[in-house]
Amino acid sequence: MNPLDDQLNRLFHAASQVKGEPLAGPAFGLETRALAAWRSARSVETGFWDVATLMRGLILASVIMGISLLPALRSVESSDSTTDPFADYLQLTDSTVSSDDTQ
Amino acid sequence: MTDAEVTACLARARDGDEKAVLEIFHYMYPHVAKLVQANLPARESAEDLVQQVCVKVMSHLDQFSGKVPFFHWVSRIAVNTCLNQIRHEKRRPEVRLADLSEDEAKVVEHLAASPGELDASDHVASKELVDKLLAVLRPDDRLLMRLMYLEGRQMDEIADLTGWSRSLIKVRAFRARAQLRRRYSLLMKENP
Repeated sequence: MNPLDDQLNRLFHAASQVKGEPLAGPAFGLETRALAAWRSARSVETGFWDVATLMRGLILASVIMGISLLPALRSVESSDSTTDPFADYLQLTDSTVSSDDTQ
Repeated sequence: MTDAEVTACLARARDGDEKAVLEIFHYMYPHVAKLVQANLPARESAEDLVQQVCVKVMSHLDQFSGKVPFFHWVSRIAVNTCLNQIRHEKRRPEVRLADLSEDEAKVVEHLAASPGELDASDHVASKELVDKLLAVLRPDDRLLMRLMYLEGRQMDEIADLTGWSRSLIKVRAFRARAQLRRRYSLLMKENP
């Protein structure tokens, strides 16, 4: 083995023998902070007004809107095809002519 | 706490049992503290980081799928948080013999002079010297060297903890080791 590698190995081995002083325990208030973090994450997940629910609601609302508009559109289309677009205009002209005759 | 007990506890936590959440917190805390301390030389930032990891784990507790053991999941969060912290620390450009303390310089001398293991009295100075040598490495390489040589973790364990592939670990380990050797040889050249 390369002497440098051997020295590095021995150095690392000696260093690994040092055990760090363990932390005394959870810092003051950490338990509360952790619990609060869990609660807030949970409220986002289970909350009514989360993004996923809102998106689902929007999609459902647009589908209902589409379905409810469908009959109205159909009736407009059918009334357009049966009536003559110039009928009202001709009727108006007729009435003008007849009123002129009476005078 | 056995694996079955942890699973039961997690199920209770998912149902909204706060007592179970606290049980999980107290169960994982020593593990997180040990892992963070081993991977961060600065004690002050270690305490802050332990808190950061605990809060992160708790806020994602409901997302734990159970596909991997709970400790692996927690460990990966802890290691990635440590890695992010190390990335914020500045790298030292080099280590010179003049920068070493008297004890650290003595360790270098001992290593060169005798082929045996170092005395127990040299262990602390060795650790400090290793910290200084590691500080010149890139954050990822630094973490890898700690996991491999100071904690004695195996390749599979490191892959689990970091999410890196085995080939990436090998490449990084080779590169980091070569850099350490280079830095160490410079120290030896300075040593009269």
